[in-house]
Amino acid sequence: MAALGSFLLLATFVVASYALAVSVAGGRRRSHALIESGVGAFYTTAALMTVASAVIVHAFVTGNYAIKYVQRYSDAAQPLAYKITSYWGGLDGSIMFWVFLLSVFGAIAVATNRERHRELIPWVVAVISAVEMFFIFIMVVHNNPFSTFVATTPADGKGLNPLLQNFYMAIHPPSLYIGFVAMTIPYAFGMAALITGHLDDAWLRAVRRWTMIGWLFLTFGLTLGMLWAYEELGWGGFWAWDPVENAGLLPWLTATAFLHSVMVQERRGMLRVWNVTLVITTFFLTIFGTFMTRSGVVQSVHAFGEDPWLAKLFTGFMILIVTFSFGWVIYRLPLLKSRHELDSWVSREAAFLANNWILLFSAFFVLFATMFPTLSEAVRGQRLTVGPPFFNMWMRPIGLALLVLTGIAPLLAWRKSTLTNLAQSFAWPVAALMVTGAAVYALGIKVWSSGICFALCAFVGATLLQEFIRGAQVRQGASGADVFTALVGLVNRQRRRYGGYIVHLGIVLMFLGFAGQGYKLEENMKLNPGQTGTVGEFTVRQDSISVTNDDQKQMITGHVTVLRGGKEIAQLTPARWFFAKHEDQPTTEVAIRRATGEDLYVVLAAYEVQTQNATYSVTVNPLINWIWFGFAVLAFGTGLAMLPERALALAGAKVPEGAVTTSLMLLLMLMPAMAGAQTIVPRSELRRQLEADLMCKCGGCKAPMNNCQMGPGCHGLQEQHAKLDKYLAQGMTREQILAAFVAEHGGQDILAAPIDEGFNRLAWALPYMVGLGGLAVVGLVARRWSRQHAEPEAAPAASGSGKDAALSARLDDELRDLD
Amino acid sequence: MRTKALKIALTCVVLAAALGGLMYTTLAEGTEYYIHVDEVMQDPEAWKGKRLQLHGFVADLRQRPNTLDYKFNVQFNGKVMTATYTGIVPDTFKNESEVVLKGKLQGEGFAVEPNGVMAKCPSKYNPQTPGAAGK
Repeated sequence: MAALGSFLLLATFVVASYALAVSVAGGRRRSHALIESGVGAFYTTAALMTVASAVIVHAFVTGNYAIKYVQRYSDAAQPLAYKITSYWGGLDGSIMFWVFLLSVFGAIAVATNRERHRELIPWVVAVISAVEMFFIFIMVVHNNPFSTFVATTPADGKGLNPLLQNFYMAIHPPSLYIGFVAMTIPYAFGMAALITGHLDDAWLRAVRRWTMIGWLFLTFGLTLGMLWAYEELGWGGFWAWDPVENAGLLPWLTATAFLHSVMVQERRGMLRVWNVTLVITTFFLTIFGTFMTRSGVVQSVHAFGEDPWLAKLFTGFMILIVTFSFGWVIYRLPLLKSRHELDSWVSREAAFLANNWILLFSAFFVLFATMFPTLSEAVRGQRLTVGPPFFNMWMRPIGLALLVLTGIAPLLAWRKSTLTNLAQSFAWPVAALMVTGAAVYALGIKVWSSGICFALCAFVGATLLQEFIRGAQVRQGASGADVFTALVGLVNRQRRRYGGYIVHLGIVLMFLGFAGQGYKLEENMKLNPGQTGTVGEFTVRQDSISVTNDDQKQMITGHVTVLRGGKEIAQLTPARWFFAKHEDQPTTEVAIRRATGEDLYVVLAAYEVQTQNATYSVTVNPLINWIWFGFAVLAFGTGLAMLPERALALAGAKVPEGAVTTSLMLLLMLMPAMAGAQTIVPRSELRRQLEADLMCKCGGCKAPMNNCQMGPGCHGLQEQHAKLDKYLAQGMTREQILAAFVAEHGGQDILAAPIDEGFNRLAWALPYMVGLGGLAVVGLVARRWSRQHAEPEAAPAASGSGKDAALSARLDDELRDLD
Repeated sequence: MRTKALKIALTCVVLAAALGGLMYTTLAEGTEYYIHVDEVMQDPEAWKGKRLQLHGFVADLRQRPNTLDYKFNVQFNGKVMTATYTGIVPDTFKNESEVVLKGKLQGEGFAVEPNGVMAKCPSKYNPQTPGAAGK
């Protein structure tokens, strides 16, 4: 198997180099046959990488411990799902996964754009193949995931790091990789446009959706990272400005800038050099981020293996990217001239420009601060570090400035805003700002930046609300429909614009969550049984410590009761899990009592089983759930904006349903993530749930325990209840209890439904469903998109029926500015 | 065209200077020296009062019963320094474990600031995912 895998990698390398060579030759000679051959080879790389991925997944599932990578990142006791996710559990596999995604995305992008952007295709193939070749080269000569043990084959693997054996960690890396890899597609099209000199806006249209997809998955990945850090690492926060996190944030910042500035180019033909630069920079940063975290160049406390060889390879590749890309930009500068000049600083394009500068500056800042220890060591010979406070000091004002622009930009007109126009648009939002600001001030500001943030959130929220209301009113006036229909019609008509507003709404909600951090309370307490400690308005009482085991780990669980105002409100069970083979590295199982207002976050920091006393770190995290909720809104908005505008033509009125379905799909994808990790089910509820899960054993009733017809006197039922009590007292989870019942009974028929396995499978299948769903969406979008003709997107609105004319006129001031 | 280029250049220079200056001043407050125990012990006086990230190995770890107060030694390359800390420590914080401590050198030894103990993760720890936070 290992030999087959290595062979497949080599074959992919050969085929990719063939695709590169043939495409370049075909592009230069304008030879159709050569280009077609190159595209064929390009598709073949995708097929080969898919087979290679299947081989390694097979090795993980069957426990082929002769392969070093498999031995190092999995073991026999791991659940099936984690065996599969071990694929990207280490460096070698994640590089391979990267190439796999890139080859598949590349194939889809080429397949969908083949007809419309014929002249770009050979160069797109060439650029993507070159990137693939670089990564395969690393694998083949240095990090081959298929390398085997020479002498003896170990009987079992070392096991995936327990910290990574977690729902979020199963889907967080692939999401981030999808984001990273999707950013290669715009880069390839941008380079193809530069090389061919076809620098009209056609390439922008080809990549806009790829950028959105990449951006969405990057955001999803970053949010999952935050959620993981919050729920698994147990320090009460979610973002630590760690180099690894920053590596994901950097391309996100530049991609966000690109998504905005691309509109300026489409509308006004400006910022063309800027857009190409942003695309190149975003791609560069995805590579740089990987370099930064993998080569040990930034030494964080995490023992990332220092790997000078890898560092050199990456450095060479990055130098190549920069010289090649910017070389072409400079060469093509004459073709990249702006069609217009900035008319006024009080215009939407100026606001976008400001937004771009700020985003780019923050990317620069994050990069600088992340690299600062290395820089200072190189320059002064003394390693100086900067911590989160430094990042926060800068990023807080930057974030607030961006938030201001989020509110202002939609209110400004393209080209130039008049004074009356300004007064009209700003009256309500500014009023909202003032009122909220005053209210926050009156209630007492603990942290100035949080106070300002609340006020600004109100400002932006009011802006967005105003946009929706005005738009709906105009449409209502034109069509005579009710408000809701008008609203749906409005959003439907200009999905990109209103989808964008919904994204902004999501960002506002996330900022609420960030601002809430200013009001965080934290307390460490050492408690004997019965003793209590207080944080804010919560009182925590230590009840006991229990020790339990399962196949994989030993679990130390603290049992605490939470009281508020003297009333018991929750039972929490923070725990530490000691995985076999990783005993020196217990995982923290945080117990969280979630609420929209604030989370109570309890970590078992230390314990003594004999005396039953425990040390807890208790944190009150206000508003934090709004971050996750904000992301769901953001994902919905992005989905809406991403749907092809011309999908209207497909089914007219059916489209809103389509949009709703898409968003529901996205939300569904997110739901399990919200419910995942260690959710704390209160005792009684768990018990009730179990009574529905388990069949009564009295023999006659054939009903679940909670529905036994024979009543309380049933002998079998009492026995079941006693057993249930025993297991619950041991602090076992639902899955464990069900498993225990099945084991004792000797069959699954004790279960009311085979929930246990089904549920687990669903949970573990989810990453793949997300991935496949993503691919399906991509494919669908792509198909639609290849069907439509290259028409300026605003055309349908401009040439709309008379009914829509008034709407367009008032709503879309920018349409008038179209050239 | 000329004057426009000049204007843009001037704006950039002024902005860069302003931001650079701001960054320089804030850096001074934000930085911590990353340093090993033996380097500090060469001239302890020079490092007193500065914010340090001290790298070394834990030895002679003691905890005052029923409190979260810890007293221990940090050593590196044969040089030893005493340190104190109050708060919760990571599980990997034990004798002989490699740590980075945030804090200041004071008269009676190294005072670690709250949450300032970072135990170096065992070499097996390999969060191979960009974006994965670690603490």
